[in-house]
Amino acid sequence: MNIDYSQEAPAIAGRLSLSEIEELVARPLDTKPDRKYFIALSISGTLLLIGAVCLAFSFYYGIGLWGNNQPVGWAVPIVNFVFWVGIGHAGTLISAILFLLRQKWRTGIARFAEAMTIFAVMCAGIFPIIHTGRPWLAGYLLPYPNQHSLWVNFTSPLLWDVFAVSTYFTVSLVFWYIGLIPDFATLRDRTTSKIKKTIYSIFSLGWRHSSRHWQHYEKAYMLLAGFATPLVLSVHTIVSFDFAVSILPGWHTTIFPPYFVAGAIFSGFAMVVTVLVFVRKIFNLENIITMDHLEKMNKVILATGMMVGYAYGMEFFIAWYSGVQAEQFVFINRAFGPYAWAYWIMVSCNVIFPQLFWFRKFRRSIPVMMVIVILVNVGMWFERFVITITSLHRDFLPSSWAYYKPTIFDMGILLGSFGLFFTLVILFTKSLPVVSISEVKAVAEGAQPTHHGGHHE
Amino acid sequence: MSDYREENIQNNNTPDPNYWRSFEELYRNEKTLEARHHEFADGVTDDFNPNENLSGISRRKFLALLGASAALAGVACSDYRDKGEIVPYNVKPEEIILGRPNYYASTCTACANACGILIKTREGRPIKVDGNPEHPVNQGKICAKGQANILNLYDPERLQQPLKKTSTGFDTIEWNKADKDIIAALSMAGSKEIAIVTHTITSPTTLKVLEDFKSKFPSTKIYSYELFNSSNRNSAWTKCYGSGSFPLIKWNEAKVIVSLEADFLGVEGNTVENKRLFAEGRDVNKKSFSRLYVVESSMTLTGMNADYRMRLKPEQQFAFVMSLMSELNKKGVISTSLASDYNLDAFIQKLNLDKEKVNHLVNDLAANKGKTILYAGELLPENVHIAVNILNDLLGNKNLYRADSAEVNLINLVSLNELKELTNKIENGQVAAVIHLDCNPVYHFPGDLNYKNLLSKVPTVVTLTERLNETSQYSNYVLPLNHNFESWGDAKTRTGLISLQQPVIAPLHNTRQKEAILLTWISTNPETYSETLYHDYLMKNWETNIYPTLKSKIEFKQLWFGALHDGFALTNESTPTISSINLSALNGVSSNSESNGFTLVLRESYQVGDGRFANNGWLQELPHPVSKITWDNYAAISHNTAKSLNVENDDLVEVSVGERKLTLPVFIQAGNADNTITIELGYGREFSGIVASGVGFNANSLLSAKPEFSNWIYTNASIKKAGGKYSLASTQEHRAFDNPRTQDLHLKRHIIQEGTVALYEKKPDFIQEHRPKELESVYTPFQYNEMKWGMAIDLNKCLGCGDCIVACNVENNVPVVGKDQVLKSREMQWLRIDRYYSGSPDDPRVSVQPMLCQHCDQAPCENVCPVVATTHSPDGLNQMVYNRCVGTRYCSNNCPYKVRRFNFFNFRDHFRDGYQESSIFALMNNPEVTVRSRGVMEKCTFCVQRIEEARSEATRKGIPIKGTDVKTACQEACPTNAIHFGDINGKDSEFYKYRTHELGYYVLEELNVRPNVTYIAKLRNIHTEEL
Repeated sequence: MNIDYSQEAPAIAGRLSLSEIEELVARPLDTKPDRKYFIALSISGTLLLIGAVCLAFSFYYGIGLWGNNQPVGWAVPIVNFVFWVGIGHAGTLISAILFLLRQKWRTGIARFAEAMTIFAVMCAGIFPIIHTGRPWLAGYLLPYPNQHSLWVNFTSPLLWDVFAVSTYFTVSLVFWYIGLIPDFATLRDRTTSKIKKTIYSIFSLGWRHSSRHWQHYEKAYMLLAGFATPLVLSVHTIVSFDFAVSILPGWHTTIFPPYFVAGAIFSGFAMVVTVLVFVRKIFNLENIITMDHLEKMNKVILATGMMVGYAYGMEFFIAWYSGVQAEQFVFINRAFGPYAWAYWIMVSCNVIFPQLFWFRKFRRSIPVMMVIVILVNVGMWFERFVITITSLHRDFLPSSWAYYKPTIFDMGILLGSFGLFFTLVILFTKSLPVVSISEVKAVAEGAQPTHHGGHHE
Repeated sequence: MSDYREENIQNNNTPDPNYWRSFEELYRNEKTLEARHHEFADGVTDDFNPNENLSGISRRKFLALLGASAALAGVACSDYRDKGEIVPYNVKPEEIILGRPNYYASTCTACANACGILIKTREGRPIKVDGNPEHPVNQGKICAKGQANILNLYDPERLQQPLKKTSTGFDTIEWNKADKDIIAALSMAGSKEIAIVTHTITSPTTLKVLEDFKSKFPSTKIYSYELFNSSNRNSAWTKCYGSGSFPLIKWNEAKVIVSLEADFLGVEGNTVENKRLFAEGRDVNKKSFSRLYVVESSMTLTGMNADYRMRLKPEQQFAFVMSLMSELNKKGVISTSLASDYNLDAFIQKLNLDKEKVNHLVNDLAANKGKTILYAGELLPENVHIAVNILNDLLGNKNLYRADSAEVNLINLVSLNELKELTNKIENGQVAAVIHLDCNPVYHFPGDLNYKNLLSKVPTVVTLTERLNETSQYSNYVLPLNHNFESWGDAKTRTGLISLQQPVIAPLHNTRQKEAILLTWISTNPETYSETLYHDYLMKNWETNIYPTLKSKIEFKQLWFGALHDGFALTNESTPTISSINLSALNGVSSNSESNGFTLVLRESYQVGDGRFANNGWLQELPHPVSKITWDNYAAISHNTAKSLNVENDDLVEVSVGERKLTLPVFIQAGNADNTITIELGYGREFSGIVASGVGFNANSLLSAKPEFSNWIYTNASIKKAGGKYSLASTQEHRAFDNPRTQDLHLKRHIIQEGTVALYEKKPDFIQEHRPKELESVYTPFQYNEMKWGMAIDLNKCLGCGDCIVACNVENNVPVVGKDQVLKSREMQWLRIDRYYSGSPDDPRVSVQPMLCQHCDQAPCENVCPVVATTHSPDGLNQMVYNRCVGTRYCSNNCPYKVRRFNFFNFRDHFRDGYQESSIFALMNNPEVTVRSRGVMEKCTFCVQRIEEARSEATRKGIPIKGTDVKTACQEACPTNAIHFGDINGKDSEFYKYRTHELGYYVLEELNVRPNVTYIAKLRNIHTEEL
């Protein structure tokens, strides 16, 4: 392999000119959607509708339609919640942390990943509300002054969740929108349609590409990146507290915060790769979202996958080391009890298959990475399933043990959440630039002053 | 006033020319002018200091409050949902004070035991049944069926109108018309028989009515039957002792109890009394323990509580008793030649019994001569009972037969032969009319009597019943009966005691009391009926027939009202003496033939009895005390038998006895004898209402009119896999015994801590050694300096019967969820009895443990609730605020005891299409307890409504509340007084002794949640120190 490590690889390939970049990214917004687009939209819309119908039934009859039972108070809806919050980790990580770390390759994928974050957190946000017995009273979870002098319980991790997720969503949304402002201006300048122009004008907030604007923009973007960075770590930490703060064996573990964050990045990156592979193909963005980008993401997947694997091992070690019988039983029961099938799906998908990414060939092979990232998505869903359900279904008193089976409504709502996610993704691809035009232009070859053989010498 | 005016006029000034209101003003008195500037006259506002008397409300705040209250009033009144009219009493009934319960003593007629009950009524409607504390037999306790009987009263499916069969079905008919038709038919009977089929009669006055009926219609014959009865035991007694019936037993005084296939703690005899007496004999405080040996074919409630348990097929019981007799004879303990053909060692060898256990039994019988009792089950044939009577007599155990009281049978039960005669007569057209008196023979009679089809040959079939049943389907007239709680009556089941039954509510429907119906017919005039007809008759019968026998010194009215108040009257009746035994009773009694095939044992259901309670959701959902299965019966077989048949739990099997077949699911019951099939009767009702429909399998179809061994045991049965599955709904997961990961977890985790009597004697605090130390907290724990509620459960007394569960359901308005929800593990009972097995599946040791909210000081449920819907009270209660609960279920997840229950649906609406939403059910609810809505978490409250009631009562009296003022519903119902409740800080109370008992421990103590339910470790009375 002859790779020149002395030279930074170009962030985008194909030596595109600035106008070509603009043209490439903005093209989907200028053209009418084709048949394939509508087919895709109708599939995701159908899923969404299935979810909506299942949800309507659950609201009408009660959540007894789901599989939840007496020991297993939390089940698939909470699994879905944690899963989607996890998916929502990649975007802000890419856009904020990698921004602060000056990783130029992030520019091609940041916008899309951020959008996915927002959609995923929207999907996630549904679940804590619908999974309550009386969702119409969900407002009780907010600390608002009221005549009963009733207050929320600040010792409950569920309340922390409310704050963590809503803060994360707000900051991610603002961050995303700030990044979009220059692009809105570009689109405003390009378009000939009057309606579009009005809309873009409103959202571009009077951006004129002036140096002052850029100066303020860069500062604001940097500050928000700094602000979002701890949130990336805090959200899943707090989600993990939902489990770690309880006294249930299998949940009551100090390793949970880092383990959950690593898992979230793992699954988030897997989901981003899953979607980007399609997006770069469909919208001819191979030069902007390059194979190098995908490979780097696969490396992150490999790294976080191993962290997760380490956590799996460590849980067993600590259970054994603690000498607590109930703790030991939970982990042995996970691997060999009634839910062993779920456990081994989790281990193989999350730890074993990603090891293929040690090989450069596999990291750069679209079919191989597709299979692996989808397996990782499946595996990470099962990780949450294993944590939530195997811990609950056999806890302290053997007399109250029971097996949990999800029902068709549980699965319908899961499908619905995917429907919502992909519907939003599909609508996004046709209504907003899926790649940050201004940022990509900034990393295009020759866009920046350089010490290497540029005309400034 | 006048002086004042005078004075001012005298100091007159220039008059005001314009206007004046008084002379003072006219003459411009200065004081008056000054006073005009004040709003109020001097002195008027002296008592009205706003700062002191108006709690300092500022004008601003007053206006704000005014505005807010106007707005609130406006909002609150704008959407007032009219919940129907609330009409105050026009004339207030005597005795009723709104909001306060009244209690009436009565008698339970749900079964033949006729226990004394105390019915709690609120605003005139019965809401709870407890035992009558003064009743000498059941002493304040009542079984699960008796408690759940309240649901039968309000069952919307009760028959509400008389029905007459037409060509197309049943039409409603007026009482008068029905009576007229029936009277005509009865009068026409002539020499043809009028058959009255009834359950056993416990009421002397009902019997008198029947005698009157007989004298009016001389061709009447009464057929009294019970599906389960002690006829074998009683006939054996008569053969042994010449007369009388089997006496009552002093379970409390016995040192060694040997129960042979007898479930005296579960279904045989007056179990409430049996349980109490048995538990009295096992008292950890008195350090006295009886030893219970159980030899049985299927695991029963009694077997669960055995110190030593052996499995034996029922047909071997006779040989077993005889072998014991022979061995005791050999040892010189008794001297008899009756058992010379038997040899215990050979018997042990042949049946592969546990030699050590049998030796212990023999030695114990020898060592405790005169203080032991052998007791054979009512399902066993007569020969076993004879052998047992003789062995008891030889061992000198007769003094354990009670002399203070004996059972009284007012009427002899019919034999199967007599029933056969009845069907023959029907077949020959010799029967003019059949009257079914509150019974269900079509369901109960053996199928080969063909009773169902023969009924069409009877011109007039009348069924008097509370709800439609299998028998009413084949009747010409179906007449609705009053419920127990709407009826008058009396009962005599014991010597020295007559119980009275009084109505506590007017009939809810157009129903009548069965005796009043018969009296109307006797009078041959339908107009005779009045609501007081039977009441007058009852009173008159007491005055003329019963009062003289009481030899009372007080006049009748006084006695009557006194008895009505007490619920019973005591009589000076002597208990029949037991004559000497006739040893020749055993002559000609042969050993039972052995079967190499399967033996079928048909037992009475713990929950629904003989099927009478099939439409009672609370009982259907009460977990079986052994298998924890609800809503079904099943074929219970041992795991060896299951292996040889290659079946698993829930597999359908076909059980057949001769021509009779039944397909039902199989359940592998630990501790069952091999090649024995046990099925409980009382299920598979076809016409019993929607609760019972589709519940279980009618194993009555396996009964035979010509049984070879016993009515309930068939030694020639066979079983085969039928293919297919059927889900049995159990409240506890069934796990394999041989899985080392799950085996004995309850012991490893110290959930169940047990010891032996021998160990306890040597080392009384052996339990305390295993207890973890309480951990230090970084926070200062809340100091409970005043009242703190706690519970102590004595596992030595708890038998696992489940009576407390039903009491809790009734008290706390717990809904029925139905089989589908139990299958999903969503039962709502606040209290459950956990059952654990240890040891081998053949010879398991069974431990039971009532599990309810532990009201932990550091409750893990409380700190995880995001909306503070579960909180702690200063008197140590873990509370649920239903209105605040949004239903995150986090509390339930974090509860290590998993005692929280979630309303996944509005179960009242969800179960059987809103059956429990029927408006009549609303009458049944305890008004002191919120009816929970969908999506809300709930759990045991330690009966907080009772605590608050006691607190108000104490406040009213101006004294502090005491721990003994409150009794929880479960405590009140526990037949063995295993549950104690009170103030943890009340150091001089009885409860405190249990709380600090040396055998006391908490479940899952190491979690440091500091529970407030103490469990007193169970001691097993075995010969070794080690379990």
